[in-house]
Amino acid sequence: MGATVLAVEQLTVYREAYVAVQNVSFSLEEGTDTAIVGPNGAGKSTLVQAILGILPRKAGNIALLGQPLSRTGFLSPHLRQQIAYLPQNFLFDRRIPMTVAELVGLGWNQLGIQVPWAGYRKRQHAVQAALERVEADHLKHQLISGLSGGETKRVLLAYCLVFPRRLLILDEAPAGLDMHGESEFYRLLYHLKQEQGWTILQISHDLDMVRRHCDRVLCLNRTLLCQGIPEVTLSPDNLSAAYGSEFVRYRHTH
Amino acid sequence: MSIQAELMRVVELFQLPFMQRAVLGGVLTGLMGGMLGSFTILRQLSFFSDALGHSALLGISIGLLLGINPSVVLIPSAVVFALGVAYLLERTRLWTDALLNIIYSSSLAIAVIILSFVGQYKGGINNLLFGDILAVRELDLIVSGLLLVCCTLFIGLTLRTQMLLTLNEPLAIARGVSVSAHRTAFVVLLSLVVAVSIKAIGVLMISAFIVIPACASRLLSRVFSQYIILSAVLGGISAVVGMTLSALFNLPSGPSIVVTQLSVFLVAMLIPRAR
Repeated sequence: MGATVLAVEQLTVYREAYVAVQNVSFSLEEGTDTAIVGPNGAGKSTLVQAILGILPRKAGNIALLGQPLSRTGFLSPHLRQQIAYLPQNFLFDRRIPMTVAELVGLGWNQLGIQVPWAGYRKRQHAVQAALERVEADHLKHQLISGLSGGETKRVLLAYCLVFPRRLLILDEAPAGLDMHGESEFYRLLYHLKQEQGWTILQISHDLDMVRRHCDRVLCLNRTLLCQGIPEVTLSPDNLSAAYGSEFVRYRHTH
Repeated sequence: MSIQAELMRVVELFQLPFMQRAVLGGVLTGLMGGMLGSFTILRQLSFFSDALGHSALLGISIGLLLGINPSVVLIPSAVVFALGVAYLLERTRLWTDALLNIIYSSSLAIAVIILSFVGQYKGGINNLLFGDILAVRELDLIVSGLLLVCCTLFIGLTLRTQMLLTLNEPLAIARGVSVSAHRTAFVVLLSLVVAVSIKAIGVLMISAFIVIPACASRLLSRVFSQYIILSAVLGGISAVVGMTLSALFNLPSGPSIVVTQLSVFLVAMLIPRAR
């Protein structure tokens, strides 16, 4: 059994006045790939955002890479640097003048007080290597505003890859891609996972992909309904409890 | 008068201490405005600098009413006001531009009412609105110089954090960046720049120093770090050129600098590059 990369205990998160996530407990072991599934509004994004400290929690404990995440969301910078997060929609103002190389380079530096030229050469090399690994080195000098959806995902993978990470948290990372783009994204992701030994926690609506690739599944609908290996967790009974019986009937007939 | 004689007159003018102080003051304001302006426009806070300018007017008027030197009141009142506005922006669900509009028009209204009670200052409102760069003193230059150092250190030493925050806040938070701490620090710095520059530039035109060089730089830049540097440089150059034009044609100094900034912006628009 590998080391515990993430431990969540009795986590409860409120969004405004309502309970979005209640009493959720689970843990991730090093090198595993865990999917969070559940219907819209089940609290999946809320859960990962609370784990990262983006949203405050009402109750419960979170430990990332062996260190507790404080109530204010503080985690030591060198541990933060080992975690990468890709949001559901990577929204940014397209008028920002930033090249692909600059964006990927932001993933390399530990954020804090430092002179802007610190580690310039090492960063340049790391950026080049990361872009080559995701087959996007030709985009290096392009403005991020000009990237297509698929190219943006590749560049964001390079942002994750540019520094050795231990935990990747993906919130429906391939959202917005067509079928080809999505399969291309997963091909690259799992190739890199093998290579880098990443532990992955991802939100997904693609149950077939989850069955094919993931070691564990967390079935969420505000509370954790079940967790375990995909073959068992994604049984019709469990899916029915999470998504409703109509969903299971639809999956069986399509 | 011949061109040569005219140039000699300008050269002589620039040898006068008050003119040298004015040029240096303009350059310092241009550099600070351009540097902070580069982030201000990307974070869509352009109107914030305008609101800060008007709030400074309110601070000055309260100071005058209480018999306190306006220069003493200006900086603390701008900082308090900026923190208040930042708090409101974070806590209310209103649109930023709508909220800022409420704040800036009401502070202007209250300031004018207060000034109407302060008899001896009635004639001086023009100085507040349009500034007087020729009245810049050595102490003002020292304060501006120190503030420029603070701005450079803050932006330079936290550059990558600022870039990530500007690009995507969730991504920055996931990397451990405290958004509210950085936002507060930025807003305080911006309020200090506005407060320190009002005496020279005036309430009405201070936002031009924040917005126009940054927009011109955006049109000319593809790389973020170059964009910030160019924005500051354009701010500084516009001040020198504007002051020279003002001396040559005997024009008001502050507006001459703003018109120069506008010309730089128009030229940048004509250059097909990173648009």
